[in-house]
Parts: sequence; C-alpha cells; structure tokens
Amino acid sequence: MQKSLETGAQLSKEDLIKLSDEAKNNATPSTFKIIWKEFKADKMALFSLIFLVAFIVFVIVGSMFINVSQMMQTNIMNYFAKPFTSNFLLGADAGGRPILEQLIVGSRNSILIALGLTVISSAFGICYGLISGYFGRVTDLSMQRVYDFMMIIPSFMIIIEIVNIIPNYNAITLTLLLSLFYWMGTQRLIRSQVLAESQKDYVSASKTSGSSNLKIIFKQIMPNISSLIIVDTTISFAENIGVETGLSYLGFGLPVGTPSLGTLIANANDADNITIYWWTWLPATIEIILLCLAISYIGAALRRATNSTQRRSTD
Amino acid sequence: MKNKELLKVNNLRVHYPVRGGFWNRIVDNVKAVDGVSITIHQGDTYGLIGESGSGKSTTGKAIVGLEDATKGNIYYQGMDITKKSTRRKLKYNREVQMIFQDPQLSLNPEKRIADIIAEPLRNFEKLSKEEEKIRVIQLLDIVGLGPEALYKYPHQFSGGQRQRIGVARAVATHPKLIVADEPVSALDLSVQAQVLNFMKKIQEKFNISYLFISHDLGVVRHMCNHIAIMNRGRLVEVGTKDDIYNHPMHIYTKRLLAAIPETNVNQRKAHHENRLAVEKMYQDHKSEYYDEKGEALPLQKISETHFAAIPKSRVNLLKSGSGEVSD
Ligand SMILES: Nc1ncnc2c1ncn2[C@@H]1O[C@H](COP(=O)(O)OP(=O)(O)OP(=O)(O)O)[C@@H](O)[C@H]1O
Ligand SMILES: [Mg+2]
Repeated sequence: MQKSLETGAQLSKEDLIKLSDEAKNNATPSTFKIIWKEFKADKMALFSLIFLVAFIVFVIVGSMFINVSQMMQTNIMNYFAKPFTSNFLLGADAGGRPILEQLIVGSRNSILIALGLTVISSAFGICYGLISGYFGRVTDLSMQRVYDFMMIIPSFMIIIEIVNIIPNYNAITLTLLLSLFYWMGTQRLIRSQVLAESQKDYVSASKTSGSSNLKIIFKQIMPNISSLIIVDTTISFAENIGVETGLSYLGFGLPVGTPSLGTLIANANDADNITIYWWTWLPATIEIILLCLAISYIGAALRRATNSTQRRSTD
Repeated sequence: MKNKELLKVNNLRVHYPVRGGFWNRIVDNVKAVDGVSITIHQGDTYGLIGESGSGKSTTGKAIVGLEDATKGNIYYQGMDITKKSTRRKLKYNREVQMIFQDPQLSLNPEKRIADIIAEPLRNFEKLSKEEEKIRVIQLLDIVGLGPEALYKYPHQFSGGQRQRIGVARAVATHPKLIVADEPVSALDLSVQAQVLNFMKKIQEKFNISYLFISHDLGVVRHMCNHIAIMNRGRLVEVGTKDDIYNHPMHIYTKRLLAAIPETNVNQRKAHHENRLAVEKMYQDHKSEYYDEKGEALPLQKISETHFAAIPKSRVNLLKSGSGEVSD
C-alpha cells in the first residue's frame, strides 16, 4: 500500500489534468451526440424536428401579436368570409372570427397544454414506476393496486364531470387535472424495466458501496432506462395533443372563448361546414396530422439512436 | 499462531417465502440457507464450495448485508451486525465488501470507470475531488490498468479487465473482508489465473481476508486455506485444505473432488474410472448421509479442524481406530 501511495503522490496536478483530458478524448460519445448523428442520417426525422421546433416557436411568437378577446368577438359582417382574401387568409367562421388567427392561438394553447401535460404526467409516471419497481414487495403491491384502480375508472368521463363541476378553470388547471389521469401507461412501462434492472448486480454493488436508495434509483438505474424514457415521452407528447384536442372537440376542454385545435375541428360537426365552409375545420385537421406525423418520425429516430442494433448512422 | 477472529456466522438461515393461492399468502419457504456457521480469521481465505443452487451466493449476500437473515446471527469483530441499522451505523460495508460473479452485470454500463470505482469512496470517505482521482488512479494501477481507463465505459473493456475493475472497487475503502462470489467463473480459463493473481497480490498488500465462493474445488485449491462444503443450504463438511483434499469424509465432497477436471492426458482414463466409481458409491450410500427429508445431517467433529455431516455410526467407527473409512 505504501508504495502505491507514493507513486500516486508523485502525480502532479498538471499530470492529473493532462491524463484526465486524454482519457476524456478517448471516451465514448455521449447519448446526445449519438442522437444528433442519427438525426443527421435520417433526413425525414431531421426535417420533422426542424418543422416541429419552428412551428412551435412560430405559434408562440405569433400569438403574442394577436389580441385574443378582440379576435374572438363576433362580427356578423364577416360571416363565413371566404379564404385567401387580404383580411382573411384562411377565411372566417360563422361568428366572423378569422380562422388563421384562431389557428395560431389555438395551436399555441393546445401545444402548450400537451407539453405541460407531458412534462407533469411523465415525470410523475417515471418516479412512480421507478419507486414501485425498485422497492418491490409490499410497496410495489400497493402501488400497483392504485394503478389498477386508476385504470378501471373511466377517466374521460370523470374529467368531463370535474370540468362541469369546477366553476372557473383555465389552461393551467386543465393541464393539472389531465395530468392526474395520464401517467399510468408511463409508470407501467418504466416499472417493468426497473424490475429487471433492480435485479442486476450493479445495483447490489451500489448498495454495498453505501449509496442510498434514492441515489441508486435516480443516479444508477435511471440512466440505464433513459432511452426508454426519451422514446416514451416523445410518444406521450403526440398522444397528449390528442387528449386536450379531443376534450375541446367535445366541448369540455378550454373555456368558451379560448380557441384550441379541438374547437376548430369541432366546426366540422355542422353538415354545412363540412361541405361548403371547409376552411373552418380543414386547416386544423391537417395541422394535427402533420404534427403527429412529425413527432412519430422523431420518435422513430430516437428509438433507433437509443438502440445500438438499429442505428442508421454509420459508426 | 492463531489469527484474530474477524467474522463469525452463527446458525444463519435465509428463507425465501413462496407465495401462492388466492390471497397471495406464504405457502412455503425456499430454504436457501439453512443453519450455516462459519468463522473467518484475519488473513484467511475461506472457501465456500457447492453446486449451483446450494445457497452459496445467498450466504455471501447475507454476510455483506444484501440479504436479511431469517434467523441466526452474524458477528463482525465481536459485534452483532445482523440488523441493518447497526450495519449502517458502523459503516460496515466500508470494511466488508463484495466482488460479484459476472462483471458484465456488476458494473453499471452507463457509468464511467472513474465514477464506478469512486462510488464507495464518495459514500464512506470524505475526499476532495483531486484526492479521489489520485486514489482511483492508484487503485487502477494496483489491478494493472492505466489512467486512460478513467473516462471509459465498462463495455470498452474485456471480461478480465472488467473483473479487475470490480476488484478495484471492492478494495477502494481498504476493507478487511471481501466476499468474492465466483469471481472468475464467468471468465475465460486463461484470464482466470490472471484475476486470481491480482486478488492474491492485493491480499498480501492490504492483509485482506476473503470468503471465496466457488462451485469448483479445482479453482479453490490454490487460493484457500479453509474450506466449507455446502449442499442444499447446509454445510456438509468443514476443514482445512488438507482435511478436505486429502481426507474427505462426506460423499458429496468426494463427488466434488472427483469432478475436478484432470489435465494430465495420460491419466484421463484412470480419472474417468475413478469418477464413475465415486458416482456409484454416491448413489448407493446417498440415503445414509441425508435424512428422510433429504436434508444433510448435523456436523460431527472429526478432529480439531475437521467437521463432517456423516452418520454417527461412522464417527464411532473412526474413533475405534480403524482410520480411513473404506466404502
Ligand atoms: N430472491 C429469491 N427468491 C426466492 N428464491 C431464491 C432467491 N434467491 C435465491 N433463491 C433460491 O435459493 C437457492 C440458493 O440460491 P443461491 O443463489 O444462493 O445459489 P448458489 O449456490 O449461489 O448457486 P450458483 O452457483 O448457481 O450461483 C436457490 O434454490 C434459489 O432458487
Ligand atoms: Mg451464486
């Protein structure tokens, strides 16, 4: 021991830094780099990513320049104004409200709600699954019974009920409310993976190394399921756009006077609108299809990047 | 000179409940470890040998605190450390560490080597970032790896190198006892000797005791001075190296000895015949050595160091002076 201590002590600070840098250069690329490479190799995914980001930025910035209450005022003069005119690029609806502006504000609302919902419900589902799978035994048993209960209750009905009961709600309360009901899929997926991970000896090694359970869960196990988390979160995002949109379509989403993709698509409930006034609902429908397509291309690339046997990028 | 007693396992039992039925109640127990007593002295290499499923790993895990004892006690330097709270208070794992069977699974694939080896240091010792790095480089040096390994991931190493990293992590906090659970059985024959040599070298350097778990009496021969043979959760024979290799008493031990592969080509045939003879004897006399439930008999004292789970009648035969019992 003495001898090796001495050789260790001879390492000067510069040597240490030099050695560390050299070692760093030899190290394997980070997950982020691998993902970026995969996107470069898959042009469709790259295009989708650029499209999605650009679109989100556009609707957020764009809606800053729109006065929503003024826009949502009924103006009988513009009753079903035709599209492609100078004032109404995408026409107007039965209330004379401009579709294009509604589309921009509605997209922002829908996307932000979906993002918030994804962040909250995924974070909760991931933690829930990690804890349930890691501790196992009684913890797992009781947590999974709660899950079973959440699965059998008709969540859509309950959400609609609650929306009807609470007097005033907005985008934030709606997001929180939805989050209560959309974490189950994520937790089940994470738990099953964590159950398998927890049996591996590196977890035992961490235990004998004196690490606390929380440290083991979040610092040792979580990095090993990061690919699953990334892919699942992406897919949840696409699904969650559908959740709010669907609710608003049925008329139980955002309060009246707040546009969303769902309220725009709801214009298609009217037979006249479907046949004659197509511009009231078609743009929003196309937008949702494009968004979901883009997200699924991104998700596929992510899945390939995180699974070394499926990568398209060379090296 | 007798060395100081380091670890004493007293009548350890680890039973796993088998759940079943409508209410998910406990319907049965798997007796993975069923009344094992072991004493390990400072500087010992204690071999724990048995076939697959005999409960060796479970014993080892109970000793390092990864499994809770159903019954029985474990004493470390005279202190009862059976309870988790005592172990934590004493920082027990700083002194008792483990090397795992499969280095592929025991190193976190998402962590760099520097972080893997530093993990016990961060939890048990307060070192500055620089001291820590120097210590890790020293540890890598001890197991024959250079500092360029620091920022690599486990998959960039060969199996033997990985197990050496596992050894480095186990010795990081200078433990007094290391439970080595089949440390080389996942490795190539050519690499086995290399890893064992590093383990021996480290033992001399740090005065470490090993509990060396293996299913192969051949590997253990060059490592251990005390050996316990385990079968179906119980010890069937305990003794010094000489007792076990030269005067085996229990048929199970004899069978394990016969199973050591013979490397000398000229003696292959004789070896094979010997093996068949031992197997036949095992089948013929099996019922004498196990009770009606198929459990091993209690250990009988044969000499100061030698114990075997043989029928009382045979012990008496021995004592009456007939020496070696012939079968
Ligand atoms: N978590 C567990 N739950 C239920 N039974 C278990 C559990 N762990 C081990 N067992 C059982 O306990 C017995 C002993 O297992 P153990 O892993 O200690 O054997 P081993 O001697 O190490 O075998 P091997 O040489 O294959 O590693 C086996 O029959 C096994 O099925
Ligand atoms: Mg084992």
